[in-house]
Amino acid sequence: MGLRDRAAIAGVGYTPFSKDSGVSTLTLAIDAILAALDDAGLAVDDVDALATHRVGDSTPPWVVAPALGVPEVSWYLDQFGGGSVSHAVIGQAAMAVATGVARTVVCYRAINARSEFRMGGTGRGAAPVFDAQYQAPYGYFAPPQQFAMATRAHMIKYGTTHEQLGHIAVGQRANAVKNPRALKRDPITLDDYLASRWIAEPLRLLDCCLETDGACAVVVTSAERARDLATPPVLISGAVWGGGDSFFSGQGGDFTVSEAARIAPRLYAMAGVGPEDIDVAELYDCFTYSVLVQLEDYGFCAKGEGGPYAASGATSLDGPLPVNTHGGFLSEGYVHGINHIAEAVAQLRGTAGDRQVSGAEVALSTAQPGYVLAGTSALILRTDA
Amino acid sequence: MSLAERPRPQVDRDSVPWWEAVRRHELLVQKCGGCGTLRFPPRAICGRCRARESGWVPIEGTGRVASWIVCHQVFMRAFADEVPYAVLHVRLDDAEDLFMYGDLTEGDPAEVTAGMPVEAVFTDVDEDLTLVRWRPR
Repeated sequence: MGLRDRAAIAGVGYTPFSKDSGVSTLTLAIDAILAALDDAGLAVDDVDALATHRVGDSTPPWVVAPALGVPEVSWYLDQFGGGSVSHAVIGQAAMAVATGVARTVVCYRAINARSEFRMGGTGRGAAPVFDAQYQAPYGYFAPPQQFAMATRAHMIKYGTTHEQLGHIAVGQRANAVKNPRALKRDPITLDDYLASRWIAEPLRLLDCCLETDGACAVVVTSAERARDLATPPVLISGAVWGGGDSFFSGQGGDFTVSEAARIAPRLYAMAGVGPEDIDVAELYDCFTYSVLVQLEDYGFCAKGEGGPYAASGATSLDGPLPVNTHGGFLSEGYVHGINHIAEAVAQLRGTAGDRQVSGAEVALSTAQPGYVLAGTSALILRTDA
Repeated sequence: MSLAERPRPQVDRDSVPWWEAVRRHELLVQKCGGCGTLRFPPRAICGRCRARESGWVPIEGTGRVASWIVCHQVFMRAFADEVPYAVLHVRLDDAEDLFMYGDLTEGDPAEVTAGMPVEAVFTDVDEDLTLVRWRPR
């Protein structure tokens, strides 16, 4: 049906992650793209399409392409948006190659999210978008504040606890200890978590992802062509985006259900699998709560049970559903979604080193679950059987 | 630090009448001319019946705390002297699906509870701007 297994990820590439890259987002983009092409065994001359997303914080494809010396661009995507569209970029690239519009798409995200453009606007004015006029004057505009509001609503409705959120932060750090790329590699305990300072109650510092400078890129091409390249292809089995509500618009009042609940049935149907088939899940973790709500909304546990499920150890590397095996945005670094996809690829290739989930064949990778801007996006990836 | 240094609302073509009413210390929402649904934030069309006709109606200005946060981190200098402060997501008493945000005034952020009754307070910031805040009722 549809896009299933018609396109593949043939290469991934990273720049180092840091708090001050010292270079432009253009340079970051180029470095990540060149690394991804090298991984795929391709060259710049093979590229005919570029895709990214940004919120006024990065370099667009029509600047990157000539800077790289791409001979001719047959398709590009300059998607507006933040984390919620991170996986839609890959999905649209899959559509482009499946329809023959493009042959080799480099998808990238390049940000200096610590040294230049900080989400939530420390030092800058709030972005004048949508319904911010009813919120910003009251000191409510930064993502940690918005996700804190949703977290509190979940606590009120389901009795979710700080300790349950803490298990997510502690568990992901344990994974990052095994990831040489991770910015945070010192183990933390639940006591460390509970002692970390408030950012916006009920969220603490250790509930928040790492503002990061860095870039990551992914090469998307047809499944057929990918089989002739340097590394075994990872097939894009499911790619969906959408939803329809923007929780923080001021309409919609129930913050305890994310847009992931709306797109999950379409995602699983496209890939022909269910939650029980997922071997590893890289769930968008701008904050601990976004992991918790997606455990519910992608069907890994009952609604309201995300806290107990996370605290049970089920999501650890040796549990039934390893989650955020690289440490996630909380501990590896935050490149706005695409580093989740790259980690899923590593797990399916069996190249994730000390953090490898043995026998991983099907992976879920997800975007910000729809609290900021409408909708979300997600991919199901699998090995080429 | 004064309220005047907070970010100003970016008023749009749909919300001008709402902010003008707040200036007069009136809390209004739209009422759809087609299906009668009360609507906030202001929109030119009803999302339920798509009717374009609507009127402005006064509401009680009371509600209950649906969710809330207590901000400690200073994300913007205007709030440096206000932390910790509470921001409330208020479910209005006038309709099931009507919500407004606002900061808590005349109350202790540490004592906010789920379902706490609150009422709107109009705070005149300067000659051009009035904000709607919330206090325990």
